[in-house]
Amino acid sequence: MFHKPKNALYKTVSRRRFLELGGYGAAALGVGSLAVGMNSTIMATRVQAASSEDAKWKQFAGSKLTFLSENTPPSFAIRDNIKAFYDLTGIEVEVLTDDLPVVQQKVGIDVRAGKADYVLNYVQDKPIGSPFADFYADMTPMFGDETLPQDPEGYGDGSWVENFLNACGRFYSAEKVIALPYDAAIPVTFYRQDLFEKHTKEFEAEYGRRLEFTPDTTWKHVLEIATFFKKLKEGGADVPYGYAQHQGSFAWTTQLDIQRLMFSHGRWTDFNVDDKLGSKTPGKTNWGDEQSIFMLEQFKALADVSHPDNLANGTLELNTVYQSGNIAMQVQYHEFAASVEDEKTSRAAGGKTAYAYCPKGEASWIKNGGEAVNGTNCGIGGIGINKNASEQLQRAAYLFAIWSTSKQLQFDVLKGLGGTPTRKSVLEMPEVVEAKKRPSKMPNALTFDVAYGIGIQDPNFVLGPKIPEANEYHSLVASETQRMLTGEMSPAETAESLKSQIDELNGA
Amino acid sequence: MTDLTEKSPALQDVAAKLFRARSHSIEVEARPRTEVLEKPLTFNPPAPKRYYFYLMAPAIAVLAFISLYPFFWLIFLSLQDVDIGGGEWVGFDNYIRLFSDSRFINGWTLLLKYSVICLTLQLSIGVLLAVVVNNSRYERFLVTALLMPMMMAPAVAGLLWLFLYNGTFGWYHWLMQSVGILDSASILARADTALLAVIIVDVWQWTPLITLIALAGLKRVPRDQLEANMVDGASPMRNFFSITLPNLYPVLLIAVLLRFMDNFRFIDSLLVLTGGGPGSATKILPVYLFEVAFKFFKLGRGAAIALTLLLVTIILGKILVRVFENPKAGRS
Amino acid sequence: MASRDVVTYETPLTKLIRVLSVVFLALYLVWTLLPFFIMFISSFKDLLAAFKLPAVGDWSDIGVFFDFTPTLKHYRSLFEDNAFGTYTMNSLIAAGGSAVISVIFGSLAAYSLSRVNFRGKSDLFFWIISTRMAPVVAVMVPLYSIFRSLDLVGTLPGLILAYTTFNLPFAIWILKGFFDNVPYAIEEAQMVDGATRFQAFRSILPLVAPGIGAFIVLCILFAWNDFLFAAIIGSGGAKTLPVATRELVQPQNIQWGAIMAAGVITTLPMMALGLVIRKYLVTGLTMGAVKE
Repeated sequence: MFHKPKNALYKTVSRRRFLELGGYGAAALGVGSLAVGMNSTIMATRVQAASSEDAKWKQFAGSKLTFLSENTPPSFAIRDNIKAFYDLTGIEVEVLTDDLPVVQQKVGIDVRAGKADYVLNYVQDKPIGSPFADFYADMTPMFGDETLPQDPEGYGDGSWVENFLNACGRFYSAEKVIALPYDAAIPVTFYRQDLFEKHTKEFEAEYGRRLEFTPDTTWKHVLEIATFFKKLKEGGADVPYGYAQHQGSFAWTTQLDIQRLMFSHGRWTDFNVDDKLGSKTPGKTNWGDEQSIFMLEQFKALADVSHPDNLANGTLELNTVYQSGNIAMQVQYHEFAASVEDEKTSRAAGGKTAYAYCPKGEASWIKNGGEAVNGTNCGIGGIGINKNASEQLQRAAYLFAIWSTSKQLQFDVLKGLGGTPTRKSVLEMPEVVEAKKRPSKMPNALTFDVAYGIGIQDPNFVLGPKIPEANEYHSLVASETQRMLTGEMSPAETAESLKSQIDELNGA
Repeated sequence: MTDLTEKSPALQDVAAKLFRARSHSIEVEARPRTEVLEKPLTFNPPAPKRYYFYLMAPAIAVLAFISLYPFFWLIFLSLQDVDIGGGEWVGFDNYIRLFSDSRFINGWTLLLKYSVICLTLQLSIGVLLAVVVNNSRYERFLVTALLMPMMMAPAVAGLLWLFLYNGTFGWYHWLMQSVGILDSASILARADTALLAVIIVDVWQWTPLITLIALAGLKRVPRDQLEANMVDGASPMRNFFSITLPNLYPVLLIAVLLRFMDNFRFIDSLLVLTGGGPGSATKILPVYLFEVAFKFFKLGRGAAIALTLLLVTIILGKILVRVFENPKAGRS
Repeated sequence: MASRDVVTYETPLTKLIRVLSVVFLALYLVWTLLPFFIMFISSFKDLLAAFKLPAVGDWSDIGVFFDFTPTLKHYRSLFEDNAFGTYTMNSLIAAGGSAVISVIFGSLAAYSLSRVNFRGKSDLFFWIISTRMAPVVAVMVPLYSIFRSLDLVGTLPGLILAYTTFNLPFAIWILKGFFDNVPYAIEEAQMVDGATRFQAFRSILPLVAPGIGAFIVLCILFAWNDFLFAAIIGSGGAKTLPVATRELVQPQNIQWGAIMAAGVITTLPMMALGLVIRKYLVTGLTMGAVKE
């Protein structure tokens, strides 16, 4: 009854057109008038390929850009140093920072409405890149443009830490690059070396091996360690819980937690699509298969012996639990090392914490015949340019994009506020290499060997699922598994419920 | 709101003179508002309506722009599948799909459950408190203390309670554990207690409002009736149920409707405290709507959900306005 | 005070009730005020001191709550490292601006609605008040898009207009009650003496002034405490105190000390205002339905 005729007239009123109509409506109501965008006019004339470097940097002087970013250390550091960019280019950049969910909202509304209030966006890989990839300008034509200044190190895959460009720059197409890696969050295992050493005798007596964390430590071992600590604690010993995970309200990190466990075992993924590029039509999901149900059972078992506050903890809260000495181990994003190593706020500081790869898959848990890997995922924040902006503004924004991801700036941020570099060359700088050892001037660097090690390399690294419905997908995975953890549903029911809802979501 | 003429003797004088001339007495003005509402217009030919419409125009224009226009837009939006890259007309598809959306249905169930529990607690505690405060010598001080939670921004209240509930260093967490009503998990970490946790915050913040309203109602309970009953040998308890409470019904009904609508309107503290989790244990409908619209960017579906929410609010509003106009209507 | 002096004799039952009610009151006061107390004290604590908690069930150790060296660093950092001075100004301007606009437009409209009758008046009136009752999230979706097309997002004027969505209907509704209470005869007398209609309107304003003053304060209170509008419409450009406080939940570190300090800064002025207009509060919060 409500089907639309194929060539109905109203179909031609696009959303964009409708926004315009809305604007006229507003004007007609007599309150305000339809204003033009806030982007200032650029007076510059195009410079020649042969012009001096300085002229290339200065060609957009006088224009104004807004960069909407997450409230991460690099963004704060860049905001504090924005004058340096102004001195270099004469371009005024306003850096706005917000919580990631808020950034998502604002970016989404901006690009979807065909506007460019935020010419520069923080393209966090799945939450922002996946749904809005089509709204960002392809940077590849600008990479070789001789009328623009260029970074001496270039922008190829080799310039960045392995896979980073894939993670935040390429969506649904290998040809386009929509964002340059700007900051990174890589999960690594934080564990209390002091406690592990202290209790290794008791552990050995029970499990027949040392209480330690190696690249071959599996999820089953993690389960055992958590069980061990819980038992000790319940026996009245003064020990923290063994493990805890992110199950709190921020759906994406919850999904990432489950994903690492799932992928470690036979490289299980949600959809049969190219993991690096993702797909707009992912088809039927793999949830509900034998492997996924079994994994959910293990996930539940692990949660049952973990710190009981799992369901209230997002990344920050989990880290606070670790900082306050209430868990002996967490798989956490490496950017948190700075706060863990801060003696003023952390009881796990001062050499008590060691860092390791994410746990490996347990061979006996693999049902699909795949290999066991150290499943690692990521949140790579890219810097992307809003395609709705004028070409001139896009080019001006490009200057900022390459400046903010340059080697020197990343080093400065790392030194200042504890950044998370994305350029390979930064990791090789002598000062950074020096900082990987205690006592470290840049505590984040203590994690670099594991954070930028084999975890993010194939076959351990999982980038996806890059699908347009990523956010609702994250939310579904989070809320259904949370229901499982609270005992509302069995693992099998959870997998089934996920399957039907995700397939409905993707129209498969 | 006391009668204005009461406050200024000079005004009383003027008014008295004027009213004598028209054989109205000043007592008329002291009666409840409804009885004088329409009267003044009939004395004299009023100014041309046009004049009043001019005065009204700016407010109406502003309201039209910020409420009517968005409203129609919302309806338009709800009939489209506004997905990535533009909208497509889908008729009532968004609405039809809502019926099979378990999160939508769960959102309504939870919203009702949340509201009903909140209101039951607030009403019983609030009225009891009002009676006690009303009989206390320190009423002024007590009322002042009670006002405090209402003055706090709900988002800040959410943060404060997040701090108190924290499983690692929260004092209320410690307190609840120490008296044995909570085991090791934080109150926000379990599906069965998280809803309770957000209800507690709402009760903390808004029970005083019910108390203040009930207190205002108590002042109007006819004293002679109470005394007469007393002489007949009724106990204070019976007096409370047979006279005081019936007299409170109209104001309490207003309080209930207002709080009910506020539960629809505000999700600030809930967003801060749980964001709807764990699972969907606290994902009341407005929170789900917030997700759909501002996280998943399903503006069409979001608009449809918003309209169902608006519809119920409007019905509640209609009832409320009816009660405003005729307080007795709520008594039956 | 109607029911107080009715009870003239004391039986064991009434005595028991009296004791119980004192206990109840005391408990309720603690329950209401304790969170404020903890917030206030915690705002002077270092992070590690704030983490100190007795063992479960160890009531004797409750004193650790006071075991800290008070520091003002959280307050300092709010204003020095963070721009809480600006945010306070933003809050003031946005809340004050919308209150003033609402009361000016609102009193004109309320006065007219009080003085004139026409067909559909009650519908108009209902529409006005339902604007005030609409769920915030529901209006946010379209409002944001409209404001964007007018470049009002992230600006103080935008936020002022957003707050007007709930303050203006509120002002009209409440102020109409005030004007209803002023006899038309007063204006009439003025006009007989040769005043114009507008002068007559102005002449009755002093009569409603105390009420208007109180409701400006109430409008400020509503706007000041808002979070959703400020977060989405205010965006980065017009950040108000509740939003700035929420933002202290940083990805690296939740700065609880600073959050508590910000909570104190956000709440204290409103408490003071609440006391000033105590008399009108119930009327205001019940939209005029209940009068004290």
